[in-house]
Amino acid sequence: MTAPSASLLEGGFFWRRHRSTVLLLATALPAIIFLLVFYIAPMALLLAESFEGGTFKHYAKALSDGLYVGVLIDTLVIAACVSLVCLLLGYPLAYFLASTPAPWPTIGIIFVLLPFWTSILVRTYGWMILLGRNGIVNRALIELGLIATPLPLLNNINGVLIGMVHVLLPYMVFPIYAVMRRIDPALLAAAEGLGAPGWQIFRRIYFPLTLPGVLAGVTLVFIVAIGFFITPALLGGGKVITVAVLIETQVRQFLNWGFAAALSAVLLGATLVVYLALRRLFRSEM
Amino acid sequence: MDAAEVEQTGSAMPASIEGDLRLAGIVKRYGAVTALAGIDLGVRKGELLTILGPSGSGKTTLLKVVAGFEMPDEGEVLLGAGRITDAPPSKRDIGMVFQNYALFPHMTIADNIAFPLEMRKVRRAERARRVDEALSLVDLSGLGGRLPRQMSGGQQQRAALARAVVFGPKLLLLDEPFGALDRKLREQMQLEVRRLQRRLGVTALFVTHDQEEALILSDRIAVMEQGRIVQLGEPQEIYRRPATRFVAGFIGESNLYRVKVDERGSGSLENGTRIPLPGNAVAAGQEVGVMLRPERPRQVGGTEAADVTFSGEVVETVYLGETVKYRVQLDPGFEVVVRWPFRDAGEALKVGDRVALGWNRDDVHLVPWSLTA
Repeated sequence: MTAPSASLLEGGFFWRRHRSTVLLLATALPAIIFLLVFYIAPMALLLAESFEGGTFKHYAKALSDGLYVGVLIDTLVIAACVSLVCLLLGYPLAYFLASTPAPWPTIGIIFVLLPFWTSILVRTYGWMILLGRNGIVNRALIELGLIATPLPLLNNINGVLIGMVHVLLPYMVFPIYAVMRRIDPALLAAAEGLGAPGWQIFRRIYFPLTLPGVLAGVTLVFIVAIGFFITPALLGGGKVITVAVLIETQVRQFLNWGFAAALSAVLLGATLVVYLALRRLFRSEM
Repeated sequence: MDAAEVEQTGSAMPASIEGDLRLAGIVKRYGAVTALAGIDLGVRKGELLTILGPSGSGKTTLLKVVAGFEMPDEGEVLLGAGRITDAPPSKRDIGMVFQNYALFPHMTIADNIAFPLEMRKVRRAERARRVDEALSLVDLSGLGGRLPRQMSGGQQQRAALARAVVFGPKLLLLDEPFGALDRKLREQMQLEVRRLQRRLGVTALFVTHDQEEALILSDRIAVMEQGRIVQLGEPQEIYRRPATRFVAGFIGESNLYRVKVDERGSGSLENGTRIPLPGNAVAAGQEVGVMLRPERPRQVGGTEAADVTFSGEVVETVYLGETVKYRVQLDPGFEVVVRWPFRDAGEALKVGDRVALGWNRDDVHLVPWSLTA
């Protein structure tokens, strides 16, 4: 950016012509600096690290070795499962919040937000107590006579899914809730008056109108889930390896920064692909 | 008076209620508030009947009861040969045009119009044919592929109308459908709706708070006040012979005076001024309201005769385009508002001008003074 000289400032041609642009850039400067320092620079350093020695060897390893490709696929599958479960639980919950009378939506929202007020670490340890072989859930089920032997809920994929869904559910509920709140009730009345039974009103009118919220929620949950670390690491008991867990191992145990950086870049790439794909879907729907 | 005729109540279907749509003894309460206090109404086949009333008069509740969105606490709703009092809206075969049209925003206009046909399991080819037919009926041929948001207010209105009639409903409901349109477009749409409704011969119930609109569109008007129908009649009848003081004030402009009837059949104002009343006047000693429409008084010169003449002074003039309105302070001490066609500026009156106003005894109409009938 060229700084306008004093004479130009005094009603000069440049100043008159570009006044609004200069002012706009000046106001945006703090945000630009923030982004540069905290997001773009670390990302650039990370990418530079991944091309250690000016070669693609880390990428070649990450994308050809069956072990690492398998972990990437597992990660995507877990994220997809978490998104699906969050959707199945979150949609009815959002509908309940959007359609109940006065005090209930506020109370419901507080409950949905409650987990956010505690540390993710605390919540995850909480699940370990609940889900263990002798945890509250298994004990209760056994004493009720519903099961004979404890269900395998911890240190496997079940635990990871339960923990992640718990953490990520609000990301699904809020976008859907916001969209549901904006649906004009007259549309549903109109559909009913035109001869549509309840399930047709849902299928043809209500659900399509909530799709933007559904896609926003799925996108959010999926993207956050791809990079999840603490929950899979603790509730998976070392048996569930996601890309984030792999990266941590590479750094902490093998001090292999270059490979960890390459894995991060792959994860970032996967996230971008998913984001763009969902956005395309979103566009064609509305 | 007319009010007495329509204010009969009773839960069984009285023989006097005739027509395609019949409402008998409809009562609807919300907690302690009575929204509908016993509505009896018959809408004839092919007729456009308007429910006219201010907000809070219960007209929208009545529409919801007919459409099935609200269940009445008492009374019966009959449509054609069937009783639909507790039928769900989807089983009533009623086409409804909503205040803001309620077009489905994610569907094209053609899909919107096809929706009621689809719900009735009409085959695809037949559906396409009827949608095309409906589109041309409302002058939207070729625009079926557009989304509602790509259309103007007037076009959306037409599309909503097409959707409401495409499946051949037994009844058409219109809930203040012109409110969102600007004045010019509104007048045009009103006439179009009227023509379309006549052409299809569909029975229609129209709800509005706009008395002008009601006068333009309706075969008959039912005026509602506080959950009751206070008058039912043709637009001219309602305008010329309002049944109550409320109706007189609500429909059109009017000068209303409270008079006491004397032995000679004249009415006297509080200040003693006498106003001649029409022939079949009320008994002496009674208090009545005298309604004089602003277009009735005329300017009287030397030879022109009138049953009563007052002179006075113009205190306000309002130019309205094709008409002009004058507020005149009459010498005996009361005011009258007159409205006359405005032809040229030369004959216009100015504030301070002296004027003699006259009218005949038949120009005035009597209404009960008391507001609680």
